[in-house]
Amino acid sequence: MSGRLRLCHRDDIAEGQARGFLPLPGARRKVIVVRRAGTLHAYMDACPHYAGGTPMAWREDAYLDGTGQHIACHAHGALFDIETGACLSGPCLGRKLTRVPLREEEDGGLSVPAQVAGRAGRED
Amino acid sequence: MNIVGPDHLVFGVEDLEGSKQYLEDFGLTPVQIDATGWCFEALDGTGVIIRHRDDPKLPPALPTRNMLRQQVYGVADATVLDQIEAEMSRDRRVTRLADGGLEFEDDLGFSLRFQVTIRRALDMPAEKINAPGAPAQRGPNELGVTDDMPALPRTLSHVVLFVPDIDKAVDFFVGRLGFVITDILQGAGPFLRPGGNDDHHTNFFIRTPAYMQGCEHLAFHMGGPTELMVAGDRFTRKGYQTFWGPGRHRFGSNWFWYFNSPLGVHFEYDADMDKHDDSWVAREAPNGPEASQMFLLQWREKWAPMGGPEGK
Ligand code: FES
Ligand SMILES: [Fe+2]
Repeated sequence: MSGRLRLCHRDDIAEGQARGFLPLPGARRKVIVVRRAGTLHAYMDACPHYAGGTPMAWREDAYLDGTGQHIACHAHGALFDIETGACLSGPCLGRKLTRVPLREEEDGGLSVPAQVAGRAGRED
Repeated sequence: MNIVGPDHLVFGVEDLEGSKQYLEDFGLTPVQIDATGWCFEALDGTGVIIRHRDDPKLPPALPTRNMLRQQVYGVADATVLDQIEAEMSRDRRVTRLADGGLEFEDDLGFSLRFQVTIRRALDMPAEKINAPGAPAQRGPNELGVTDDMPALPRTLSHVVLFVPDIDKAVDFFVGRLGFVITDILQGAGPFLRPGGNDDHHTNFFIRTPAYMQGCEHLAFHMGGPTELMVAGDRFTRKGYQTFWGPGRHRFGSNWFWYFNSPLGVHFEYDADMDKHDDSWVAREAPNGPEASQMFLLQWREKWAPMGGPEGK
């Protein structure tokens, strides 16, 4: 597991659910893990509206919009496609969430590359 | 024109139950106004009104996805409503409501309502501090902090709008409603206060593209910096997400702490804002990290220096 950080177990994310995990204590940004149609996706918890990215939930793990169909930034209501991370409406139209490569280990653990912990969020 | 400031902000929300929980945890008191609407009140009765976004009782939605439906402003007395009605009737439809209030749209399509203010006069002490060289504000044995100290929003302080046309917004609020510009953040926009309120700002406009039009944030005044910190700390421990702060702004000098919300706007605790009168000359500064705050801090888990070098 060297070079990788474990976030949770795959069973911790139910279908249609999103959760946020700090990859290391004190890391600057959480990683959002969301399960949609059986597939897991991971993004930095960093809205591309402002430089550097800002956290998007309104409460712990509250990343989806009221309908559960999109990832939402609850700062100004931007909506993002769960599968691609693309902004569909709101201030950051035309931008994307930063995708994080997620690996499923043999024991079902979900991990991300260690450098994710040092990321401010958005690199573009 | 003796306009006092915002009494209520009305939102049409997607997640009604989540929003109710949020507003109560923020420190506002729920008052059910009818079968489908709730007002969440600060101590003086000002606050936020929410309904589900499909509720026909709401004013129409903005063309954007922003959930703000109406700004309700309080005025000193009924003669002010007559003045506003006379002024607005020159070029738009003004509806007189059964309770004597007025409803109309501004030049950017925001729904506004004016009423004799519902603000209850507050009679509460400000946060008290002791400092060498000055008379003590807290007497002997009077404690500055206690576990059960109240830290509740006292009154609705200000509303900040994303507007596609600053000049139109300013012409309307200053030219037609008698607001005064107190300071300007170049590249963002102006801070304003109405004739009947000496707070540095009850309104702030931020220039944005048309597809963002709506409310950016709203703020409630707390009793002082300590109350703001205690309220923000308690709110954080309930699992809510900071957007910016705590810190202290330059323009207005108010302490701030902004949180994300299910209403798609930030909710801000603020404290200790400057007061101004008509002799004040507006300052201007380019918008940016320097101009927008004196200092910025970040919440962290409680910690104390203890234990030996072996840790723990
Ligand atoms: S910070 Fe996310 S929409 Fe503005
Ligand atoms: Fe503010």
